[in-house]
Amino acid sequence: MSAVTGAGGGGARGSAVWWTALALIGGFVLSVRAAEESDSGDAARPLSPLLAEPSGPGLPAKFPDDLEVSESCVEMLRLFGERYVAAVNCLVSSARPVRVCQNCYQAYSSFNDIYTNISSGQSGNVSCQDSLMRSDRLMLLFNLYSSLTDIWTSALCTQCLTPDQKSLTNSTLDFISYLNKSLSCFEKYQENHTELCMDCKATYKGLNEMYSTMLKNKGYCIDIEDAMNVTRRLWSKKFGCTVPREETVPVIAVSSFMLFLPVIFYLSNFLHSEQKKRKLIHPKRAKSNHSLMNIQDKFS
Amino acid sequence: MANITKKVSWSGRGEERTPLLNGSEEVRYSRQSSGGSVFHIGRLSTVDLDEDITPEEDPVRSKPKEIPHNEKLLSLKYESLDYDNSENQLFLEEERRMSHMSFRCLEISRWVICGLIGFLTGLIACFIDIAVEYLAGVKYDLVKENIEKFTEVGGLSISLILWAVLNSAFVMVGALAVAFFEPVAAGSGIPQIKCYLNGVKVPRVVRLKTLLVKVFGVICSVAGGLAVGKEGPMIHSGAVVAAGVSQGRSTSLKRDFKIFEYFRRDTEKRDFVSAGAAAGVSAAFGAPVGGVLFSLEEGASFWNQMLTWRIFFASMVSTFTLNFFLSIYHKKPGELSSPGLINFGRFDMDNVEYSLYEIPLFIIMGAIGGVLGALFNVLNYWLTIFRIRYVHRPCLQVMEAMLVAAVTATVSFAMIYFSNDCQPLETVTSEDYPLQVGFGLCTYNPLTLGLFTLTYFFLACWTYGLTVSAGVFIPSLLIGAAWGRLFGLLLSLMTTGKLVWADPGKYALMGAAAQLGGIVRMTLSLTVILVEATGNVTYGLPIMLVLLTAKIVGDYFIEGLYDVHIKLQSVPFLHWEAPATSHWLTAREVMSSPVTCFNRVEKVGTIVDVLSNTSTNHNGFPVIIQAAASEEPGKLCGLILRSQLIVLLKHKVFVERARSRLSQRKLQLKDFRDAYPRFPPIQSIHVSQDERECMMDLTEFMNPTPYTVPQETSLPRVFKLFRPLGLRHLVVVDDENRVVGLVTRKDLARYHLGKHGLEELHLAHT
Repeated sequence: MSAVTGAGGGGARGSAVWWTALALIGGFVLSVRAAEESDSGDAARPLSPLLAEPSGPGLPAKFPDDLEVSESCVEMLRLFGERYVAAVNCLVSSARPVRVCQNCYQAYSSFNDIYTNISSGQSGNVSCQDSLMRSDRLMLLFNLYSSLTDIWTSALCTQCLTPDQKSLTNSTLDFISYLNKSLSCFEKYQENHTELCMDCKATYKGLNEMYSTMLKNKGYCIDIEDAMNVTRRLWSKKFGCTVPREETVPVIAVSSFMLFLPVIFYLSNFLHSEQKKRKLIHPKRAKSNHSLMNIQDKFS
Repeated sequence: MANITKKVSWSGRGEERTPLLNGSEEVRYSRQSSGGSVFHIGRLSTVDLDEDITPEEDPVRSKPKEIPHNEKLLSLKYESLDYDNSENQLFLEEERRMSHMSFRCLEISRWVICGLIGFLTGLIACFIDIAVEYLAGVKYDLVKENIEKFTEVGGLSISLILWAVLNSAFVMVGALAVAFFEPVAAGSGIPQIKCYLNGVKVPRVVRLKTLLVKVFGVICSVAGGLAVGKEGPMIHSGAVVAAGVSQGRSTSLKRDFKIFEYFRRDTEKRDFVSAGAAAGVSAAFGAPVGGVLFSLEEGASFWNQMLTWRIFFASMVSTFTLNFFLSIYHKKPGELSSPGLINFGRFDMDNVEYSLYEIPLFIIMGAIGGVLGALFNVLNYWLTIFRIRYVHRPCLQVMEAMLVAAVTATVSFAMIYFSNDCQPLETVTSEDYPLQVGFGLCTYNPLTLGLFTLTYFFLACWTYGLTVSAGVFIPSLLIGAAWGRLFGLLLSLMTTGKLVWADPGKYALMGAAAQLGGIVRMTLSLTVILVEATGNVTYGLPIMLVLLTAKIVGDYFIEGLYDVHIKLQSVPFLHWEAPATSHWLTAREVMSSPVTCFNRVEKVGTIVDVLSNTSTNHNGFPVIIQAAASEEPGKLCGLILRSQLIVLLKHKVFVERARSRLSQRKLQLKDFRDAYPRFPPIQSIHVSQDERECMMDLTEFMNPTPYTVPQETSLPRVFKLFRPLGLRHLVVVDDENRVVGLVTRKDLARYHLGKHGLEELHLAHT
């Protein structure tokens, strides 16, 4: 029933020009490193705007002690802010081509940790859960958290990560290395597409097979889907390596034969099968036996 | 005497005619019959109808006239169900014996039965769902593998053949089961259940064997990729389950659990069957209220408040069971929100709005749906007539089904092959396993959609009425959804800018509703089913408007698909009301006469002779008191049924035996129930020559107060008594309570309003 509700379908997954993608994928291993380093750098920098005291007229920044948030909770809040910003930064920077899972799993998991800390209420002697999360209807922390979690779930990132969420799975790493191999192969034959199609066919096929096994085992995430999509588009649209369809004639022949069969069937039935006749029965009726005709006579 | 000899000679000559004689005879026939009809007119004006015309007409009549099958026939095969309770002395005695407590127990066991019906129906739905998913999965994996293999090396035509052969194989197995084991399991089963609830006994329709063949057949035909759905058969399955469970035994398996014996009669069974049908709808669409309303719409003449409430209970249990077991199957035990067999998906809450200016558009869509539905029905009507006339041998029917399966596969393949965007097509034919050939670039290209609608329309129309068990709901919804989406897309293309045409999904839903409404012409229940299945009350008003328009427009051309098929089966179906403009017809003209009656104390020989007379297969006999030694017909004092007489003969309840052996057990109502529903034929009951001379006293067993009408009662009045009470026989009496005729279902059903005013259907052997 997808036809009823499935709105515009999957839609084109971005329209990155092929060479940008190629370039970015090529430098993939490096870029992961770079991202990690920059993550730690970000964390060191204090995120002052979040908790800055308002200058000028406005509501007071603090209330008397008994109703206000404890120091440790403020610290937690600051940490939450930092990690949230880090995670969002990372997600945005790896939006196209999609690399969210492999680039951001660390940022996400540390963000996840701090949220768990706050919501479990275990840190320190005061429960920050009550003061930070349950005291107003805005529920800012929860909403921020859930928006990020939604993104993470719909990206299916957990499928590419090991159960402890600390590293990428082996199959993902294999896929990445294979992808790099095929891309470097593509790069080698930039000029001559026919040669490219010949020489890279094996690696491309291998990549496809690997992808389909990952699909079957549910070991794929958005990164892998996107990489595969881009590669396929390169292969068929840019390099034009698709096998030309030469079989139109036999397919048409077989189809028209199939379509012709019922015609023969019905014709032969019409001509040879004896027509089924019904024997009419004349029921017992009182005195007059009405036929259609006299009904109508009487009617008119 | 002369008449008889003449009759014999005519019929004798009929068989050894020479061509020359034949020709001359034809001329005489036509002259005679036209002369007869001219005379009719004269006769009607001179009220007096004299007898000596008949010998002239008789020869014409007695010659067995053969005509090709058409929709203006009534079959002798169908009989009425005994919905009227026979309040004879046995019944009164039993009622006296029963305590207040046992009435309570009966009420409780009604609830238990309804729960069981819901539970079993849900289980069956679950089984069908899982089996289809599994089989279709295996098939599509096979085809997909093959296609992937051949895409590179060439030879896609081999994949095409593989696909077609696989489909045909599945369909062949299903069609073989249906054609050779249980032909009544063909089709969606909704027309048959409709007839049953109307009071027509469709032979073998609620047997266990039918259920098995139905379930097996529907799995095969859906897995075989035909343009069919599994929803209609669920309704039939639910009805069979209900008819079986409520009897506490299976006649086919010869097992009697000795429970629920009180419910072994047509009146009680009918109530449970309507509960079963509701449970089926509810399992199929995840629409419990829709199910109840479906039963209400199709069999509403026998309703009361408690029954409605029980049926609702059965529906709810059925939905719950299906959800529960499917949640276990999908490894999320306890999640009870899956929407039945059919999945419309959910509309997001921010998409569900519609505006006032869209309502005219919805009405236009309803009209389109009505026209397309009528076209569907007309095409299917001609096709079905052709099938009945020419494709009537079982092996031919199996072949036809296989051909349709092969062509469906071919068409699907060709559409995948020749269209470049990823179509919704694959999702359609596989039902459960979308085959992904491309890579996720699915857009609904208007051209593809149009082509798809057209192809699928004809395929679905061709498929309905094959000898496979399958329903028409899903195909109609798909056709409608496809053109509805097309409509939405075109709208958004035409109006650029200001007006934001929300989501074409909305138009798809309306199209689906319009198409389905145009084909089956259900109103209230369909509205509620669609609302419940989409889980969205907001669209209640537009869906209602769409269905309303579709019905009005469609009815202008032809009746609903189920009614067309009921007519083509020559079923004596009684509609809600007598045809308009029939008030001038009186019971005297409608009734059958003369009536075979029995005396209150009748000779066994006479009874056996009457019952074994094959030419008059009567089922109800008025019991009369004959005024001593007079030729006049006697006065009516009761009515006895064939089934009762057969039980009496079997137990040899003769006056003489009762006298001789006082110890003999008195016959109870239980003995009649044990024989229900398959009363033995009269031929299997042996009556010796001595016994033929015995007498039988019918007083205790007959229904002492049958419904009667005077001769001058008009047809609509007779109808109003007959249909809501679910009568089987209505005795026509004169002013001295003497029997003059008998009105049965076929006498009433033969009048219908045709194109040229009131028409009369013919009775025929089928």
